[in-house]
Amino acid sequence: MDLGSILYLGVTFGLFVIFAWIVIKTYSRKNRDRNEEAKYRMLDDD
Amino acid sequence: MDTPQYNTDIVRSFILWSVIWGLVAIVVGLVVSVQMTNPELNFPPYFTFGRLRPLHTNAGIYGWAVGVIFATFYYIVQRLCKVRIWSDKLATFQLWFFNATIIAAAISLLLGFNTSKEYHELEWPVDIMVVVLWVAFAINIIMTIIKRQEEQMYISLWYMMAAIIGVAILYLVNAAEVPVSLFKSYSIYAGTNDANVQWWFGHNAVAMVLTAPPLAMFYYFLPKTTGVPIYSHKISIISFWSLIFMYLWTGTHHLLWTPVPDWIQTLAMAFSLMLIAPSWGSVINGYLSMKGQWHQMRDNYLVKFLIIGITFYGLQTLQGPMQAIRSFSAFIHYTDWVPAHIHMGTMGWVSMIAFASIYYLVPRIYGKELYSIQLANLHFWLILIGQLIWSISLWIAGVLQAGMWNAMNPDGSLTYTFMETMVEMYPYWWARTIGGVIFLAGVLVFVFNLIKTIRGGESLVSSAVPVEGRA
Amino acid sequence: MWEKRPILFLILATAAIMTGTTITMIVPFLSVNTEADRIESVKPYTPLQQEGRDVYIREGCNNCHTQTVRPLVSEVLRYGEYSKSGEFVYDRPFLWGSKRTGPDLARLGGKYPDAWHYKHMASPRTMIPGSNMPDYGWLSKNPLDPDLARRKMKVLDFPYTEKQIADLATKNEMDAIVAYLQKLGNDIPWRKAAQTTIVGDLKNPFIGNKDAIEAGEHLYENSCAPCHGEDRQGEIGPELTDIDMDDADLYEIIHNGISDGGMPAFGSLGSEKVWQLVNYLKEKDDD
Repeated sequence: MDLGSILYLGVTFGLFVIFAWIVIKTYSRKNRDRNEEAKYRMLDDD
Repeated sequence: MDTPQYNTDIVRSFILWSVIWGLVAIVVGLVVSVQMTNPELNFPPYFTFGRLRPLHTNAGIYGWAVGVIFATFYYIVQRLCKVRIWSDKLATFQLWFFNATIIAAAISLLLGFNTSKEYHELEWPVDIMVVVLWVAFAINIIMTIIKRQEEQMYISLWYMMAAIIGVAILYLVNAAEVPVSLFKSYSIYAGTNDANVQWWFGHNAVAMVLTAPPLAMFYYFLPKTTGVPIYSHKISIISFWSLIFMYLWTGTHHLLWTPVPDWIQTLAMAFSLMLIAPSWGSVINGYLSMKGQWHQMRDNYLVKFLIIGITFYGLQTLQGPMQAIRSFSAFIHYTDWVPAHIHMGTMGWVSMIAFASIYYLVPRIYGKELYSIQLANLHFWLILIGQLIWSISLWIAGVLQAGMWNAMNPDGSLTYTFMETMVEMYPYWWARTIGGVIFLAGVLVFVFNLIKTIRGGESLVSSAVPVEGRA
Repeated sequence: MWEKRPILFLILATAAIMTGTTITMIVPFLSVNTEADRIESVKPYTPLQQEGRDVYIREGCNNCHTQTVRPLVSEVLRYGEYSKSGEFVYDRPFLWGSKRTGPDLARLGGKYPDAWHYKHMASPRTMIPGSNMPDYGWLSKNPLDPDLARRKMKVLDFPYTEKQIADLATKNEMDAIVAYLQKLGNDIPWRKAAQTTIVGDLKNPFIGNKDAIEAGEHLYENSCAPCHGEDRQGEIGPELTDIDMDDADLYEIIHNGISDGGMPAFGSLGSEKVWQLVNYLKEKDDD
């Protein structure tokens, strides 16, 4: 494997890790309910 | 009713002006449509197709869409943050500078001051006006968000902030040009580089002006209208990050088979297909929010606009990736299929959501009952039918012309000359004009309804809560 | 985390936006328009050509005409050699366009004689029946501005002579746009390279065939009459009433054109149609 391929795979893998991290964080037990609060609160903002 | 601390005057003014510029965009669109079938209706030097078509697209994007964005964002940001906008004065300046910019744009385009870059035709002095306008808007929205009284930011604010930052980056990079005179400049990029920068801009202008802001409106006005929250805030978060990350890779799908390096084209193609996921994340989130509420499609005219709008967004984001595939692009690109695709997005998705937002806002900010829900329904059907005629006739035209361009005789020669394929387009161009006329009729019904509401509609009872938007 | 901190959110959103931007928009600058895709024979625009290009931009010609030939069979047959990156290094801005209401113009240069363009720009439908292009005859009333042209050449850093600038005073915008159109795609010698050599004996397959003559007449009206006249009396091209030439030689001229004489190649019509034209031109003689 040349340097280009390693770089290519590395960047791809890195991006995937970031994506997985966002998903895990968003759906973690700690954040699961807290992340939904905003959608209820926006209903009574008038 | 509004809590008195919110600034509603600015929302009223932006709605008024955006509707005016929207009408201009549609009327000019009809003119260029007729010019394609009747070339004798070109009146040089100012009123030829080549000068009017940029006016049509600029009035549509910068007058109508951006005008509605200003109006709705100022309404939404105050409520989601539970504070008045950061600066009333800056907003008022922005309103008048907005109109000055659109007028300067219209005049300069008719005079032929044109950079040729699609959706970025404005010459450098007007470019500077656009930048000032956007900075004023950005400061006001971001400062309002910073001093908000509500800790957690609702998804609409995310899309708003991404749009503000995205437009700023895109516009500045693509505007890099060297002036020769007050009315003429040259791009600092040349040839293939210029093409690649332009379509990085062109495609992502669609993302940051015609996708993210209408999504912000949709995520706000749908729950407000139905009275139930969106299905999942978490799905909207995942969709959001995926969307704004992936969009920026896809611009070169406008340049498949051109001299732009192949690897960029391949990336653009792959990311365009991947974009289906976050786009449909929003579509499905919208549909699932209707669980147990589908009867409102019948009872509540606003829901009809919003759900049909998001449906067209869904169709648009399937058709777009399809066109971004090399083999299909080879066949269909440069034909009338492409404007049909764009107009499903602008007339079916963006305008549907914009009309819904304005119908939601006007009774609330004027304290009046909507003059006629029947007229609103008529408006809905006219613009839906008009848009479908528009798009379907040109999809057929595009496939027909592409087929003729590629047809070959057994001896390996082409079956048709270019003109033999072009004259086949005339009936479809006529059908498109008819679709446009029906769409315009719908918008005139809308304007009439608004004027009647504002001038003399019945006052809203102040105790009426979110349900007042219902039929 | 970011859902409560707008500044952090803005930074992260910018980072997300800049990732794809960097890779697909900034990185290509390292390879595009460098020695790698350079073509020696491609020359910058002369002051007159550049003026023409600016008229093309001002009138929004790019709204209906593209300027890239894609490497696809039907496209190369219709327009000519596919476009190369190195051919566009002097194009600021690029003018590839996105819609072909009219045909692609990337290989237009040298296809027709100047006289054809003057006539076609002034009145497109007399040259191309059924065309929906607006008339641009009014361009010939607009003079050029030599001082502005000099400034443009300086900004673009293109070579020019004072004579070229001075000559602009005697020209108008129509001269400029025709000069520009004649340069398009003409910096590489593709037209000569694309010419097919006809091998073997050419035999007219339609001798004495009435239908072929009629079909040829129809083809003549659309493809030849604009230059050679409705009654073959000659206008831009020579008169064709009394052709003293072999069928095979006539076939070759129609098929390949005369690249230095302004006669376009009509080989893309296919051999059948070219033969129909030959028959029409020869048989009409015998009337």
